[in-house]
Amino acid sequence: MLKNYFKIAWRNLLKNKGYTVINISGLAVGVCCFLLITLYVKSEFSYDRFHSKRDRIYRVWQHENYGPKEDFVNTITPVSMVKVLKNSVPEISEGTRVYRFNSLVKRNNNEFNEAVRAVDPSFFQIFDFELLEGNPSAPLVGANSIVLSASAAKKYFGLENPIGQTLELKFDEKLKFLEVTGIMADPPQESSIQFDLLVSLENEADFFGERARRSWFNVVVESYLMLMPDQSVGQLEAKFPEVIKQYLGDNFEEDTFFLHLQPLTEIHLDTSLPAGLEPISNPMYSYVLASIGFLILLLACINFITLAVGRSFSRAVEVGVRKALGAFRKQLIYQFWGEALFITFLSVVFGIFLAYLFLGTFNDLTGKLLRLDFDAGFWAVTFGLIIFIALIAGVYPSVILSKFNPIEVLVRNKIKGSSMGLLGKGLVVAQFVASLVMIVSTLIIGMQIDFLVGKDLGYQKDAIVVVPTNMSGDEADTFAALYVAELQKQPQVIDACASIFSFVENAWFGVGFTDSKDVYREFVFNSVDARFLKTHNIQLVAGRDFQQGNISDAENGVLVNQTFVKRFALENPIGTKIDKFGVTILGVVKDFNFQSLNHRIEPLLLGINPAPIFSNAENVESQYISQPRVSVRLEATRMTSNIAKLKDTWEKLNPSQVFEYTFLDESLASQYKNEQRSRTIVKIASLLSVFIACMGLFGLATLTVARRKAEIGIRKVMGASIWDIVTMVSNDFLKLVLVATLVAFPIAWWAMHQWLQDFAYHIGISWWIFALAGIMALCIALITVSYQAIKAAIANPVKSLRTE
Amino acid sequence: MILQLKNIFKWVQQGGQRVFLLKDINLEVAEGEFISIMGPSGSGKSTLLNVIGMLDDFNEGEYNFLNESVHTLKEKHRANLYKQYIGFVFQAYHLIDELTVYENLEMPLLYKKHSGSERKAMVADMLDRFNIVGKKDLFPAQLSGGQQQLVGVARALIAKPKLILADEPTGNLNSKQGQEIMALFKELNKEGVTIIQVTHSEKNAEYGKRIIHLLDGRQLKHAG
Repeated sequence: MLKNYFKIAWRNLLKNKGYTVINISGLAVGVCCFLLITLYVKSEFSYDRFHSKRDRIYRVWQHENYGPKEDFVNTITPVSMVKVLKNSVPEISEGTRVYRFNSLVKRNNNEFNEAVRAVDPSFFQIFDFELLEGNPSAPLVGANSIVLSASAAKKYFGLENPIGQTLELKFDEKLKFLEVTGIMADPPQESSIQFDLLVSLENEADFFGERARRSWFNVVVESYLMLMPDQSVGQLEAKFPEVIKQYLGDNFEEDTFFLHLQPLTEIHLDTSLPAGLEPISNPMYSYVLASIGFLILLLACINFITLAVGRSFSRAVEVGVRKALGAFRKQLIYQFWGEALFITFLSVVFGIFLAYLFLGTFNDLTGKLLRLDFDAGFWAVTFGLIIFIALIAGVYPSVILSKFNPIEVLVRNKIKGSSMGLLGKGLVVAQFVASLVMIVSTLIIGMQIDFLVGKDLGYQKDAIVVVPTNMSGDEADTFAALYVAELQKQPQVIDACASIFSFVENAWFGVGFTDSKDVYREFVFNSVDARFLKTHNIQLVAGRDFQQGNISDAENGVLVNQTFVKRFALENPIGTKIDKFGVTILGVVKDFNFQSLNHRIEPLLLGINPAPIFSNAENVESQYISQPRVSVRLEATRMTSNIAKLKDTWEKLNPSQVFEYTFLDESLASQYKNEQRSRTIVKIASLLSVFIACMGLFGLATLTVARRKAEIGIRKVMGASIWDIVTMVSNDFLKLVLVATLVAFPIAWWAMHQWLQDFAYHIGISWWIFALAGIMALCIALITVSYQAIKAAIANPVKSLRTE
Repeated sequence: MILQLKNIFKWVQQGGQRVFLLKDINLEVAEGEFISIMGPSGSGKSTLLNVIGMLDDFNEGEYNFLNESVHTLKEKHRANLYKQYIGFVFQAYHLIDELTVYENLEMPLLYKKHSGSERKAMVADMLDRFNIVGKKDLFPAQLSGGQQQLVGVARALIAKPKLILADEPTGNLNSKQGQEIMALFKELNKEGVTIIQVTHSEKNAEYGKRIIHLLDGRQLKHAG
């Protein structure tokens, strides 16, 4: 019996190749999406879970509130905090700081600019990063040792044994020789603490200035605490104010400074707190992706149902014969469900293959390094998937198929297919709603990105190359000035300038101060040179630019933007002295967008000498490392050879260091990486859902046409033309699409409206986008349906009306 | 003369051999005739009727309908021709289940570009003539077989065709209902409608003025 079932199933698949391909490919695409997205979501939700003591590990975050506009939340904390807390709170068993700094790392002639992590020795007691070589309890031996990740070890030492060898670190104008005392496995991708090189914080003075080491208002490191077993976080947090009060002494103000603990495993997905040293991610991405994955799988299942029911006519005679020969309905249900299971199995195998094939693309898309491991968990998911699909997609059609009455089918030759009715129509409408929302989103996201990339930013971004010096201190300033002076002499260079931040860094110094009326105010600052405006073609609206070689300009002259003038209500800005900082305004520049277009233009102050600003400000924040960066505007022709000349000049002046460069326009476009990523994801999802929805529509059209075959025949005999029939059949479906547009447009409008609110500058949502999406959906639906409609319309009615 | 068939052949290719469905059929039908086509199952009766109704092609021969040579006409012209002049009545009635009696009657008119009021008048006229005004809002499933076929005949007549083609119109009816339909045909014929019917039953064939016998696609010459 089973063999017979299998034979019939197999022959049916072969006989209806078109349906088989549509069915299996649709389901396989759904399975592929689902598997890949499962991998992504699993990775997102498994951050930091590999530490055995994860339940006891917390990160300290602080909340300072000095008034309505002076509310600061930070996950980066003062240097001394871990020590103070551990000494005064006995429930804390261990604590470690993690500090990130940039350093040149050199071995023999290999020199790289690296982000190094410095940690306390207890780091290795708290966390479970895998040690490959070295002393397990204390891989770092004293202040002059360094631990490498496996890939860093390979980078610097190749096949040699690194243990006992020396690396040279150069940072803050200090040179240190460190001995390699341990090798660790690369930290897993799902870790909120990443490192390639680890050094010891044993000698704090090597890293932090005197002031930073004592102040509780200077945030520098991440602080991790491990509690004694079974401690209540709430009770512990309640003890902190007393500790703070004791430590701050006179500086303590009631209800202004709070410390809290964030569980280690919540760090990655908690967007209510700012990111620490490593980027965090919004769980919304996971939810949206998971919904999309599930939706596509569901759409594919719906198709399976519509197609199977649409085809049920072709099996009616078989059902009739089987019943007449004694099959029970239950047996038929098993038979058809078995067939569904078989197709599902094939689809899942094919889907796994697709997932394997597209894993690389998916990784590029999500910026992750996911792997498809064929482990027990994977097989469990696969098995669950097969059962789920076979249940959702297989049960209904087998019930319908097994329903045929043998007398009707065999004797009266009356095959009454069950119409899908409201259910089928609802499913198709749902599929088109999903597709339309995604089409509209794709269009709007695309237009917004084009708008962002194409908007006039108020400065020139084309043909500008940014060269970071990767040096710090006076040496760097001297070198940058020398490099700029050399470049100015060359014909292919139109202009060049040095500044602490270039336009590649989209956040400059955030400076906070209290003004004479005791109000806390903020502006943005960048330290530039006299050629900065010219190089970037920034317009002056009043006053004058810095003069090359003018000593007072270089000492205390500043330029401000129009927003600055407005915000600080300066009536006659030119010549105004800003008392707080002891600087004088020389000129006002036209507003330009120095941040990404997610942000409005903020008050900006440009000065050559940063000292008066930094020494008088209460707060200076920066997301990027401060170092002189050289921006060069080149002749736009022959870019490659122009860059080569930049490199030559660099190597003449600084032969030991690697020349790095970035094109400004490319770097600016990559600011919208997240948006580009959303666009790609939504585009792919909309293509898939349109594809799947069309297959569903095709199935329903097949079903309808088959059911109305006799009617179409009669109408033709009564004089209906082919066109009459095609319109009649298509109209029903176009109505469904129209209903779908009515449902989809408000959803799409709302979703896109929310999304656009993230941008300070955004496009309006115009009606024609909806019109375009609607017309696209209608055309796609029409093309899909018309195949069946035309086929039915040109069929000879004699065949469908034969009664013998 | 309404139509003329000359040496009509129709065949299908089966396993390299020609199987003839119609073989050398010659037939002339004058206006006002009532012809019955008889023959055993598979003798080609329905095929012949379909050829006459232009629903089916033939392979060889000439067919003239109202002085137009059908065999040379393009599909579209042929469709216009039968739409205008021919009404069909089927054994299985072939009413549309989802439409009421009224809507079923109106349907052929929809494809012939009659105005709304014109259609209304024509349908009302038909309902009246066949005495089914009271049933106009019922669906086919609510009618007996005889009543359904009555609607079928009415639908065939509504566009005022010159020729009615009926394929075993009484095949699904009991004898009393069958007689009523045949009586109706006879009456229609008296009013001037040309009718060609296919039938199995000698008794029904007698209603016709002329009987054509078919066997294996051939016309038997003895009757006339």
